[in-house]
Amino acid sequence: MTHLLELDNIAKYYGNIIALEGVTTTVEAGEVTCVLGDNGAGKSTFIKILAGVHQHDAGAVKLEGTEVKFESPREALDAGIATVYQDLAMIPLMSVWRNFWLGAEPMKKLGPFRLIDEPKAKSIAKDELNKMGIDIRDVEQPVGTLSGGERQSVAIARAVYFGAKVLILDEPTSALGVRQSGVVLRYITAARDRGLGVIFITHNPHHAYPVGDRFMILNRGKSLGNFAKSELPRDELVQMMAGGAELDALTHELEAGR
Amino acid sequence: MTTTTSTDAPAAVADERLAYTGFLQRILIRPEIVGVVLSLVIYFVFWGVSAPFASGGATLLSLSATLGIMAVAVSMLMIGGEFDLSSGVMTGAMGIIIILLVKETGERGGLGMSYWFAIPLSLLIALGFGWLNGKMVEKFVIPSFIVTLGSLFVLKGAKLAGSKIVVDQIQVGDAREGTHYEFWRRIFGSEWERDTHIWEARDTTMTVLAVAGGIILLLAVYEFAFTRREQFNPAGLAILGVGVAGIVAGVLLAHQLDGSDWLVMVVIAAGGVVAAQGMATWRYRPIAESQPIQLTPDIIKPIAMGLGALVLGVVFALVLDPAADTNIVPFVTEQGARALLFMACGMIAAGLFGLAAGRARHRSASTRASVAVMSAVALFAVALFVQSESTSHKFRAELFSILSLVALVVLAWALVGLRFQARRFSDVNADGFARRGVLIGGVLLVAGMAVRMLFSVQNDFDTNNPARLSTYNVRILWFFGFTAAMMWVLRRTRFGSWTFAVGGDANAARQVGVPAARTKTQLFMIVAFAAWLVGMLLAFKLNAIQASTGNGEEFEYIIAAVVGGTALTGGYGSALGAAVGAFIMAVSQQGPAFSGWNTDWRFVFLGLILLGSVYANKRVRQIAEAAR
Repeated sequence: MTHLLELDNIAKYYGNIIALEGVTTTVEAGEVTCVLGDNGAGKSTFIKILAGVHQHDAGAVKLEGTEVKFESPREALDAGIATVYQDLAMIPLMSVWRNFWLGAEPMKKLGPFRLIDEPKAKSIAKDELNKMGIDIRDVEQPVGTLSGGERQSVAIARAVYFGAKVLILDEPTSALGVRQSGVVLRYITAARDRGLGVIFITHNPHHAYPVGDRFMILNRGKSLGNFAKSELPRDELVQMMAGGAELDALTHELEAGR
Repeated sequence: MTTTTSTDAPAAVADERLAYTGFLQRILIRPEIVGVVLSLVIYFVFWGVSAPFASGGATLLSLSATLGIMAVAVSMLMIGGEFDLSSGVMTGAMGIIIILLVKETGERGGLGMSYWFAIPLSLLIALGFGWLNGKMVEKFVIPSFIVTLGSLFVLKGAKLAGSKIVVDQIQVGDAREGTHYEFWRRIFGSEWERDTHIWEARDTTMTVLAVAGGIILLLAVYEFAFTRREQFNPAGLAILGVGVAGIVAGVLLAHQLDGSDWLVMVVIAAGGVVAAQGMATWRYRPIAESQPIQLTPDIIKPIAMGLGALVLGVVFALVLDPAADTNIVPFVTEQGARALLFMACGMIAAGLFGLAAGRARHRSASTRASVAVMSAVALFAVALFVQSESTSHKFRAELFSILSLVALVVLAWALVGLRFQARRFSDVNADGFARRGVLIGGVLLVAGMAVRMLFSVQNDFDTNNPARLSTYNVRILWFFGFTAAMMWVLRRTRFGSWTFAVGGDANAARQVGVPAARTKTQLFMIVAFAAWLVGMLLAFKLNAIQASTGNGEEFEYIIAAVVGGTALTGGYGSALGAAVGAFIMAVSQQGPAFSGWNTDWRFVFLGLILLGSVYANKRVRQIAEAAR
């Protein structure tokens, strides 16, 4: 069977540094694949390969069965892979609707000129946000005045609207409080329920476990394994994420020091 | 937060969390607001202290035009997050290039081209230069400040050395030598002389346009500020009709009596108040129950201080001699000081009354109304004082009419505010209506002012040098046209959106698929286009271009853009602001000269304006953002 997105033993080297090696996982439509890893585990490299910012040096990326290699972010976008970065790719001083449409504004013709179709852009932006369960007060307000969770949700809604098949979320909850994180996790499931394959990158197993269908754990550029939810109880995920044996040793050391 | 009434219910289209941003706040979040207010204040000050200044519209606009065209383009580039230091020398270089292209061949000659070839060719050269600047910034990945500093020196040197090699002079002429000069002079160098012709209908036309514009503008502001009824009440239209009839009767009476009179003023004022009430009865929801007036010390205090400032101004006006032409302090005559001090006191008072009104905003309707009534009374008192004490016609007649009109508008507003519900929720219909009203009213007002200015005649001003003051150059039209076009591009086109995006956060823009490098290169090309346009305007106006023309002007463009609210960090600003900034710089250049001050002080004045406006821009933005 073909997967929506399949990564087979991909690797990336920066000079003599092995940033990523032997990473394998799959993403299905309507499912959430969580990629977990601590700082420096290779999460960013992983995202950048899929988003077309960097190209992998070995292995294969297959989108719906055909092998692909994205040379630019635009190519990845056109292929249906949308990435919501940690810094959100939003312009704080610009309004919500302009941000929503940025780079793909709906146009109308006025004589020889092509203008942004403002009424249409505003109403679609408002509707799409509503569909994701996001109730923005005023699409004219600058994105900078939104809360972190709201910004995430605008970015997610934007990716969903522009026909993404695969949605990559880079640490969407890392800068958020408990309630805001809950809101974002709900948007992740909303995107999943609309049939997208979601890649949820995080270092927080407690955020990943409730929404994930599949888990891939990265450590120092290597995959620690690729598990379906049924194969992996929550405690084990937390344990692996925290570095397993390393944490045991640390706990021992700290407790002994009392 | 507000105590207006308990009957306030959100309109059907409103979102109850969407706190309504009032008219004032809508204005305050515009980037160009400080520039607009500042230009009005400075213009008003010089208008007050200098007789010839008021008639210098043509000179001021001509001065603003070339600076303004560049400032608008440079502000767009700055919104896009880049600088172009070569923009100043480029203007001169383009002027030299066009002249060399068309100049007759021969030793010390040019290429002898027809203007029909030379004009497009020079445009191509300019755009190529802009493109090169953009590409270098993109490829070198070095701040544009440095890259264009390089282009600045290259151009500056090439201009000087090139002029010397080709014509063996540091001045390149003549633009007239080219073939088809006459045709192109009409486009880039037309001038329109104001002769002694008097347009009989001028004042009537101006009054009609200004009054119509003012009424539409007022209607729009009312629409922004008050809650619409679900069903309009036609009875209000009858009251409105009575009010309008009163105003018309007053105006006719004034014609009959040949001048102003107490009776005329009372009739017009009553008509205005009744008309405003009528309109409000027609469109807006009345307040169900009245609330007490809450004049707390924090409101009383600024009002008292404002009155104090007014009294002080009156004292200055009475003590100082209006006829004394001697300097009491360096470069200020006693007469000038009197006007200046009186105006300063008046502005301080206006600011304090404004502060009181701002504090009253969230109190009861009756509180707001009482503050407004007090302001109106104070304004009218000032108007009366000006009329009785001032020496010059422009103060006695013009300032008096303006002040009493403003007092009437404030009074009518206060009385409407007392009886009708302020708006607290956004209403799509009313907002759209009001926005269109602001646009139409603004255009009519400006048209009225333009009529007045374009057809000014000698008798309006007591000036000795009419010729200098009444030549309009076609560059003014280019300035207006270019500014309008760029405002439209920034607001309505995709390229405009991308400009804000690449300046706000180039990486983020790139991630969502905005071609950041291409957008920036196009912005450099817009600056180059503006430099080409200014080069043409200079060549056709001056006939010969100095090798040093334009040198060092790049910072003036940046200053104009910054005064107009463009952020140095990119991503924020406006084309209109830059144009207004250029106007401010022209006024501050011209004003001291007209006022008979030592012009060596010009740069001190300019520096203070720059500092003040940048600080004010920052503060206003903070306040407006915090209030959102």
